[in-house]
Amino acid sequence: MAFAYLSTLMGGIVCMLLLDFRFRLFFWRDSASAALVTAAGIVFLLLWDAAGIAAGIFLRGSSEAMLGIELAPEMPLEEPFFLVFLVLCTMVLYTGSVRILERFGKERNT
Amino acid sequence: MRYALLSVAFLAIAVTVALILTRAGSSLRVKVNMPAVLVAGTALMVLTAVFDTLMIALNLFTYSDALISGIRVGLAPVEDFAYPLATVILLPALWQFMTHHPHLKMSALLKHALIVSRPVSWINTAFPFGAAYFLATRDIDWLLVVGAIYYLIPYNLAMYGINDVFDYASDINNPRKGGLEGALLPPAYHRPMLWLCLVTNVPFLAVLFAAGSPESAIALAVSTFAVIAYSAAGLRFKERPFVDSLTSSTHFVSPAVVGLTLAGASFDSALLLMLGAFFCWGIAAHAFGAVQDIQPDREAGIGSVATVIGARSTVIFTIVMWGTAGILMLMTSWPGPLVAIVAVPYIVNAVPYLHVTDQDAGTTNKAWRRFIWLNYFSGFLVTLTMILWWMTVRG
Repeated sequence: MAFAYLSTLMGGIVCMLLLDFRFRLFFWRDSASAALVTAAGIVFLLLWDAAGIAAGIFLRGSSEAMLGIELAPEMPLEEPFFLVFLVLCTMVLYTGSVRILERFGKERNT
Repeated sequence: MRYALLSVAFLAIAVTVALILTRAGSSLRVKVNMPAVLVAGTALMVLTAVFDTLMIALNLFTYSDALISGIRVGLAPVEDFAYPLATVILLPALWQFMTHHPHLKMSALLKHALIVSRPVSWINTAFPFGAAYFLATRDIDWLLVVGAIYYLIPYNLAMYGINDVFDYASDINNPRKGGLEGALLPPAYHRPMLWLCLVTNVPFLAVLFAAGSPESAIALAVSTFAVIAYSAAGLRFKERPFVDSLTSSTHFVSPAVVGLTLAGASFDSALLLMLGAFFCWGIAAHAFGAVQDIQPDREAGIGSVATVIGARSTVIFTIVMWGTAGILMLMTSWPGPLVAIVAVPYIVNAVPYLHVTDQDAGTTNKAWRRFIWLNYFSGFLVTLTMILWWMTVRG
């Protein structure tokens, strides 16, 4: 039960990477750029979280679906994994939409 | 309402960066696919409404009721939607700029960044910070991890990145550069490298400044200033004799001082003696390294402690400094004096060059290479002594 949230996030991350791999969208298109975008996204979102925690806005929940390990006050171990998932999901959605819209545009032109 | 303010602030950062990237990209014909941003953004909003509600229902996290607006979509506070909105504005702009830049390859930039940051030297700044912080707090916490990561990579990238960009003109004439001891960076990568230094350093510095005290803020400011002032155009401390060695030593001692001040350590005489010894060691290390470059530096019109006082005097100066470091360590409390022995191999390594002339100063490169590996050996000895100290204090 304690692993529920973390394993769900990992599952989500793996699914995003599988989509990426299958359609060569992000890491499988330009791994260096993808790594930089991912790193930038995670740092940006972590700073946001940290500012929210420092301001007393975000509080860690008491759910039994989490391991209960805190990386920092009010920052559960699972949070960075969630941010990785959010970044990957955003980029797979964007690069995937670009691909679909381009194909759609081509079909209309022919 | 405070959460709304926070969300607007970070959203504004995302929009500003995206606009800057789009403007910079427009001259390079880099364009963000806006319809795709809309499609992805809409999908993300729907996903957020569903999964945020689910996550809040499962009590994975909560909010201070007094600080949020109270407007909710499902269970999700409306402010939460700023997260996916910011990522879908910022990240595609970044991605588009990186993948469609006509002259820049991110894989090449990363490869250059790795070489430029001198991985063999990473530990030389991360260790002083980590050891100082850990010995003062006796605890591994998030601040230790953030600071150690900062002093392991971004700090070194800034220190050597700025250096390699502004030294390009003189380095190109120096056969020694382009490997373990220095890297040659192609001019097309100069500006991107400076940007990479900036964006990798600022977030860490912001956190370290925010988490610390006025004392640690001063230490951080000195540390950061020394990194920039050493080689950036206009300041060029590396070309001012003696200021060059002092600044270089600050590069390695200041991470320890930042660690100590962040940990709120009290600066007693034993600690000051240790820092003084470390500082003398750093001055000697820099001055000794400058000897081998006397000829190329003079040809390039660059000054250094060695080009001004000459090879022989510099070697004498370094031996005196290493000796002073050893004597200062002898004056510290047990088991500090044990570390004094570390000065001996450095002095033995330099003594054969007491009669070196400016013409054959390049031959000291052999001793410089030994010096780099000697540092690992002395780092090991210093660590053992720290563990011994740790056990004495505890027992």
